[in-house]
Amino acid sequence: MPPLYYLSQEKWRSFLSLLEKDYQIYLPQITGEKGIPCEFGKGLPKADFKLAKYVSSKISELTFNPYRTIEPLKTFYTFPKEKLTSVDREERVAIIGIKNCDLFSLKIQDYVFLKGVVSDPFYKKRRENTLIISGDCSAFKEVCFCLGMEINPFPEEGFDLNLSFLDDGFLIESGSQKGEEIIEKGRDIFPLASAEKISLREKKREEIVRKLSEHINLHNLPPLKTLQKIVKEGFDSPIWQEEALRCVECGGCNFSCDTCHCFLLSEDRFGSAHEQVRLWDACLYANFAKVAGGANPLRYRYQRLRNRYLKKFDFFPENVGLVACCGCGRCIEVCPAKIDIRNVLRKLSIECGIERV
Amino acid sequence: MENPYQPIKAVVEDIILETSTIKTFVLRPEKELSFQTGQFIELSYPGWGEGPFTPSSDPWVKEKIEVTIMNVGRLTSKLHLLNVGEVVGIRGPYGKGYPLDRFVGKDILIVGGGVGLAPLRSLLFSLFSEMDKYNKVVLRYGARSPKDIVYKDSLPRWGKKEKVDVVVTVDVGEGNWKGNVGLVTTILKDLPLEINNAVAVVCGPPIMMKFSTLKLLDLGFKHKDIYLSMEKNMSCGLGKCGHCRLGKYYVCRDGPVFNYENIKDIHDIWD
Repeated sequence: MPPLYYLSQEKWRSFLSLLEKDYQIYLPQITGEKGIPCEFGKGLPKADFKLAKYVSSKISELTFNPYRTIEPLKTFYTFPKEKLTSVDREERVAIIGIKNCDLFSLKIQDYVFLKGVVSDPFYKKRRENTLIISGDCSAFKEVCFCLGMEINPFPEEGFDLNLSFLDDGFLIESGSQKGEEIIEKGRDIFPLASAEKISLREKKREEIVRKLSEHINLHNLPPLKTLQKIVKEGFDSPIWQEEALRCVECGGCNFSCDTCHCFLLSEDRFGSAHEQVRLWDACLYANFAKVAGGANPLRYRYQRLRNRYLKKFDFFPENVGLVACCGCGRCIEVCPAKIDIRNVLRKLSIECGIERV
Repeated sequence: MENPYQPIKAVVEDIILETSTIKTFVLRPEKELSFQTGQFIELSYPGWGEGPFTPSSDPWVKEKIEVTIMNVGRLTSKLHLLNVGEVVGIRGPYGKGYPLDRFVGKDILIVGGGVGLAPLRSLLFSLFSEMDKYNKVVLRYGARSPKDIVYKDSLPRWGKKEKVDVVVTVDVGEGNWKGNVGLVTTILKDLPLEINNAVAVVCGPPIMMKFSTLKLLDLGFKHKDIYLSMEKNMSCGLGKCGHCRLGKYYVCRDGPVFNYENIKDIHDIWD
């Protein structure tokens, strides 16, 4: 195991000043309490966290998010709308408070934008210019179900630095060359962590896994290894139509999704010239698959809802060996029609005759 | 930095009127653009968008590229208004074309419908230039009516070539049409070829591809000997934007030419 260091709460600001020299820091801030109340009455936290630009003089109180922020991590790499003319020098960004669900999703986004026929230069540049400082989850929202996707609520890879919140400070761990360098520079801020602190982290990790497992059990989520089978066998299921009846085609599930990556190349007028732009697209939109001449293989809403699940649980496992769902629950939180991916999967699995083991 | 979304410019050198709704554009790209037959390009006009088209010209000709386009939507309506000398944008080529190496020594049946003959013309040029490699080329083409037939001058010429057999049909006869009348499936009989040593290539509207494929299976063609050109709304062409998913494939990346064996179990492939 790589060495673990300790960052006390008093040294938190020194750590930020160290980062600030090279990076624009984004830090989680509380924005409100719109979260969904738990239907099982567990009294889970509802506060929402959002990543905000850190300006040292303006922030008096520092918070550390116990669970993921409301915006998906992808918002740092692709934008709802962006010009595709040249890769401008993008600022170097350090994002603090990324959780393991987001880190998992980054694997999907990386596959899409870095691998394949050609890598996307815009994504690549931003990816290179970003420092990811992740953190263990110390709580979860009602909608969280990462463990159902076999993703732990604490990061083990894919970060530059990881922070594990203990009661009076953090354990800090590097996961990359970039992270290594920061640890080097800040050796006077972080001493090596004591064995007690390390075992405290283990205890906390075990505890969150236990609590989250209990919560997910209440939702009866079908096992990960059955998901591809149930979405394929459920192709003609009436469940898609039942669920899609409520869909208002807002595209919220797509846009808030950490792994959804679809975009549309289009143009915008800038003065007298047309320039290429890229827009996030949503497969729940009526014209997503429409072609000139009018044919539309995803003509009906239920087909588009089903398409989303097939993409996540069939296309990606076939192509990457991973499901494109990290269990962050953002799509559940954002859906005005209360279409809940956990319910859809559970209903499909029951119909398909797979009982939860 | 290489920007894969940035088109190169191409000048419209000539415009050939094929039918009242179909034109062939002869384009000269600012940089040489070489493609394999069956691959597609993204063609754009500023302010009118971008769309996928499969070149209809001979892939051996590098400095020019021809695209046969039907006026059906926003972009194509603008393209149909272009004059010689105007400039369009091109990206590509993208995807996988026809696997010519698997056609060597075979009888090749080519079934086209409507403007679907465009990519097939490029394939025919490729085959004609190395005809000694192949046994025989059998072309069966269906258009809606005599006035909807594309490449009117070329079809009879191709039919006169050695080892090439061409039959054309129209859905509805008009005027002094004395040829075949009926859907393209009606001329898929008594084919002058050895089905056990043949491959079939189909391109046309989805409904035509569906029934032609069923007919070919009836005739005894094996799944793996049928090649289909699938069309979806490929936007990026690079396997990233997600619009052209077909089961576990992206049409832009894994197609647009597919072996029927690989896609036959995917739901709704003809939609």
